[in-house]
Amino acid sequence: MSIETLKICGIVILLAPLAGAVLAGALGPVKLHGRSHWPAILGVAAAFIAAIVLFGQVRSAPAGETAAAVSVYEWITNGTDAAFTVDFLIDPLTAIMLLTVTGISLLVVIYSRDYMREHGSPLRGYERFFAFLALFVFSMCALVLSGNFLLLYLGWEAVGLCSYLLIGFYYGRPAAAAAAKKAFLVNRVGDFGFGLGILLIYFTFGTLEYGLVFQMVQEGMTGVGDALTNGRITTIALLLLCGACGKSAQLPLHVWLPDAMEGPSPVSALIHAATMVTAGVYMIARCGAIFTASPIAMTAVAIVGGITALFAATIALAQTDMKRILAYSTISQLGYMVLGVGVYAADSAIFHLFTHAFFKALLFLAAGSVMHAMGGIIDIRQFGGLRKILPWTFLTFMAGSLALAGFPLLSGFFSKDEIIHHALTVHPVLGVLGLVTALLTAFYTFRMVFLAFYGPQRVPEGVHPHESGKWMLVPLVILSIGAIGAGYVNIEATGRSFHHFLAPVFEHTFAAASPAHAAAHGVAATAHAGFWTEYGLMIISGGLAIVGILAAYILYMRQDWLPGLIRASAPRSYRTLWNKYYFDEVYDAGVVEPARQTAHVCVGLDDYLIDGLLWLVTAIVRGIGLLLRPFQSGMLQGYALSMVAGIAIIVLLVFWA
Amino acid sequence: MDSWILTIIIFSPFVGAFALLLARRGNDAAIREGALYYAFVTLALTVYAVVRFHMGTSEGGGSGDFVLTAYVPWIVSGEAEGAAIDIAYRVGVDGISIWLLAMTALLSPLAIWSSFTAIRTRVREYYILLLLLQVGLLGVFCARDLLLFYVFFEFTLIPLYFLIGIWGGPQRRWAANKFFVYTIAGSVLTFAGIVYLAYFAYTTTGAITLNLQTLTRMGQSGEIPLNVQRWLFLAFAAGFAIKVPLFPFHTWLPLAHTEAPTAGSVILASVLLKLGTYGFCRLSIPILPDASFMLAPIVAVVAIIGIIYAALAAWVQTDIKKLVAYSSVSHLGFCMLGLFSLKVAGVSGGVLYMINHGLSTGALFLIVGCMYERYHTRDINKVGGLARQMPWLAFFLIFFTLSSIGLPGLNGFVGEFLVLLGTATSAGMSDGIAPGPLGFAYVIPAALGIILGAVYMLWMCQRVLFGPVKEPADTPDTSTGLTRDLTHREKSILAPIAICCVILGVYPKPMLSQFEVAIERNILGGPGVAMRASAGPDPSFPGSDDLHGRHGGRPLHGARNSSTASGTGLNGASGPVGAAAQVVGLAHPASEMVSFNGVVLDER
Repeated sequence: MSIETLKICGIVILLAPLAGAVLAGALGPVKLHGRSHWPAILGVAAAFIAAIVLFGQVRSAPAGETAAAVSVYEWITNGTDAAFTVDFLIDPLTAIMLLTVTGISLLVVIYSRDYMREHGSPLRGYERFFAFLALFVFSMCALVLSGNFLLLYLGWEAVGLCSYLLIGFYYGRPAAAAAAKKAFLVNRVGDFGFGLGILLIYFTFGTLEYGLVFQMVQEGMTGVGDALTNGRITTIALLLLCGACGKSAQLPLHVWLPDAMEGPSPVSALIHAATMVTAGVYMIARCGAIFTASPIAMTAVAIVGGITALFAATIALAQTDMKRILAYSTISQLGYMVLGVGVYAADSAIFHLFTHAFFKALLFLAAGSVMHAMGGIIDIRQFGGLRKILPWTFLTFMAGSLALAGFPLLSGFFSKDEIIHHALTVHPVLGVLGLVTALLTAFYTFRMVFLAFYGPQRVPEGVHPHESGKWMLVPLVILSIGAIGAGYVNIEATGRSFHHFLAPVFEHTFAAASPAHAAAHGVAATAHAGFWTEYGLMIISGGLAIVGILAAYILYMRQDWLPGLIRASAPRSYRTLWNKYYFDEVYDAGVVEPARQTAHVCVGLDDYLIDGLLWLVTAIVRGIGLLLRPFQSGMLQGYALSMVAGIAIIVLLVFWA
Repeated sequence: MDSWILTIIIFSPFVGAFALLLARRGNDAAIREGALYYAFVTLALTVYAVVRFHMGTSEGGGSGDFVLTAYVPWIVSGEAEGAAIDIAYRVGVDGISIWLLAMTALLSPLAIWSSFTAIRTRVREYYILLLLLQVGLLGVFCARDLLLFYVFFEFTLIPLYFLIGIWGGPQRRWAANKFFVYTIAGSVLTFAGIVYLAYFAYTTTGAITLNLQTLTRMGQSGEIPLNVQRWLFLAFAAGFAIKVPLFPFHTWLPLAHTEAPTAGSVILASVLLKLGTYGFCRLSIPILPDASFMLAPIVAVVAIIGIIYAALAAWVQTDIKKLVAYSSVSHLGFCMLGLFSLKVAGVSGGVLYMINHGLSTGALFLIVGCMYERYHTRDINKVGGLARQMPWLAFFLIFFTLSSIGLPGLNGFVGEFLVLLGTATSAGMSDGIAPGPLGFAYVIPAALGIILGAVYMLWMCQRVLFGPVKEPADTPDTSTGLTRDLTHREKSILAPIAICCVILGVYPKPMLSQFEVAIERNILGGPGVAMRASAGPDPSFPGSDDLHGRHGGRPLHGARNSSTASGTGLNGASGPVGAAAQVVGLAHPASEMVSFNGVVLDER
């Protein structure tokens, strides 16, 4: 690996999309108009090519030298000799993330070329969209490339900004504007913890460079050479987890993601499914040294992930908006990834992140294609039997659904199975939760498939459905291939190349700290593993997926009176699910309203207490003035009288003394 | 020319004002263009000064000395050396004041330019007052004599009083009076402090002097007893805290802001409030270091209360200007927190915060002004969906909102981060300065203010820009030659500010490194304090120009960390990793820390 090549690649990956964004934004409204997608497509394509080159560099690096820190320039000085720099950390994890991010982005940008023609906002929608999308690619790449916590924070906030801008893309709709603000603010709550975590890292270690921080954590030392206490490292890890919960929409900060579906479908696919929301998972994996140093934090990560996975899957059962079902499914799948890192299987989590990027982006884009055909309607109660009218969309959606449901031998199956496997060995209860979630996932996914694509053909009134054009279908097909085949990069037959590629990143952190270290990773253990330990779980989880699909088939295709009966027999549970466990209501009543009341109190204090005290002060001054005013009456006699009186008093005093 | 350039800058707007006075009444267009011309001349001169400053400091190795100085005896008796009374016209700039001067010179022409369509009555008087206001503001940042500082400081009140009182909104008289009386009540106490300081200097040195250089040296070498420092600190704080404004002395600000004309609000928020923080940073901290250290926790607590309190109050405002005004109170709380961390990172964050706040809040007031001129209302409830009507306005409003809520990559973040960093590490010694009084606990509530900052700003953006279009009847008013969206003039006013925000966010290092030199030498360091701080293997630090060589005397930790760093498999990372390794190595052994504390306590 040559540092110079890596530096150039890194800079191209960042600057090409940024230049695309600036060009689309600046020239779009005046010159490019309908051609504004070109700067974005070219910028992202350049970034993708650079990411491939970078991947090649990392892959060809000799073992033990797969990581490199590349410094670009000094950013912020802080009074000490070590300024905060803009620098990259390039290792296999970075390479994989960059490939995923730029690759999926490129497909999404291409897809948007047609999609946004009809769904653009009235005023400069087209140009704005591509400018924001390219800006997002820049921000996400900055997040991934960063070699220190400060640049990570920059990317972290900047992707949040792009998410804000794109969720609020249709700003004329109050719901979209509110959803955008909600996303930003909920993320800010997470970032509150994240930012404090970063400050605490600096406070403890005196630096924000990944390499140095992780080194010191593993040595168990602080920056001044003291012993690192468990409490400190646990606090840091939990604060970072708080940030991850915000960005990756984990409990209890998940509330923004379903609302984020107000944005255009390509945005949901790219930002709210494939890339940005995985930043939390990436961050935990990257900070493995910190997290694995604290068993408590690891348990917390696993619990958050496991519970979120199940919790979101249950909500998805009752929703009817196709994109919201997918949003809850994203939360649930992100829960799997977080569970994965929490059970020391970071490579499996990243593997799931990788496969999930394909099939979830595919599902959102295909849903966008349905929406495109249905004139903007996405409620699965309002249409059905679309299989015939939208054949390509149907096929690609099917591929994505099977992968999501964990149907045997598709990508989602392999990656999810690995996570559950590790979860069962480390936290069996959470592993079982993962299995239940797998069943539910298959069920709600195919509930959606059957309702939307099977049954008698129904379309909303006044809609003339049509299959999408090739700009939209080509990315769908490419993603379908990924959704079906991406899992094969990490199976025994291909030598588990994904796992081995990532191994150097995690060998001193997750792999070394794992309680199941010997069993899961030791060569001897793998060699002697019997058929059942090796394939038993695969059969169980594959079976669960098929059971879930069959259940959906029976409920929604064969006995379609059953769902109504279930709903009627448990109205309260149904309503709870329908209302997403009342999280929004609780936050409104428990956090937002009290804060607003306090705010009103503050204004009241300003107007009455503080200004009242001021008035009192001035009133005292004025009162003294009033008291003295009679003496300044302007009448000579009065002055003469007081003069005589004064002289008399003085004379009296003098003589008396 | 160098020794006179600052004087020329300070008084060039005065010449402009005088020229306008001679201009014929009634020719409004010529008057406002003339005013703009003079403001731009001042800006050009300031740019020249900035360039000269750079050349001067790079020749001198960036020693942090005051340069471009001028001296004219004012009230002097006896010989110049050892005079019994030594009050003089002294000006000069260091790495801090040059940038504040530049910010003032940049914003003044923009504020004048923004008034072209808004001000229709008494045009000549308006621009004369704006230019006079600029004289005072520029003077404060250059003054190197306490009396001169105070004269300029108070002089700013007069033009602004008339600007608010004549061209303001419906409650302008009340607002102007409250502003004037409130601030002058505070600064009278400050003046009492100044007089006492002069007297104190007389008792110790035998000369009545208000030379800031002398006073700073006196303060930093510990010649002023703590008891005296404490009272002086309170006297200074009385004037400065009202000016900042620090909670609970802030109630004049929302009123003054809402009633002032746009340009008045801009100058008020961007520059005038900075006189308070600049006063703390230039007078209280260096001259009264021990009292600052002792009272810093109180100041910090008050600042934090202000951050949260004002952010909450901003959230429920329906008047946009009032919202931005409260946001100023909240932001300046951050600034104060950084200054009183008494650490290089915190103080340079605080100073940068002054500039950032000047840029972004000034721009926000300009934008509100653009809206008000078109819709004749600042009520959030009466407008909506303006992004559709005014995309350019929407762009700038969102941009400066992001700058104001500290989005990384823009200027606001750098200041905020350094403030929090300085506060968190205040008790450490990683920058070679004595441990400060604050600690990590202060960061937590302050960071809460960052969430709230996003809450109210985004709430405002959502209401004003998004949703269905809502405009008051018979608007937008384009009778004054405005267009529906921003005119070229308005865009040209906002664009330079936006560019500055980006530059400061992406590459703040050149400015920060100048701050740091100045802070180490003139604010925190000084010969005396620095000597105490570096009591150890490297006593040559204060005189040493080489900033980067000063920690060379402590190889122990540095060596450990650089060796471990090279063992992490991060090949080829010698630059940042090596540098960062040094930071770790900076920390002093515990025993040194204790003995150091002992010294300080003894001296107190």
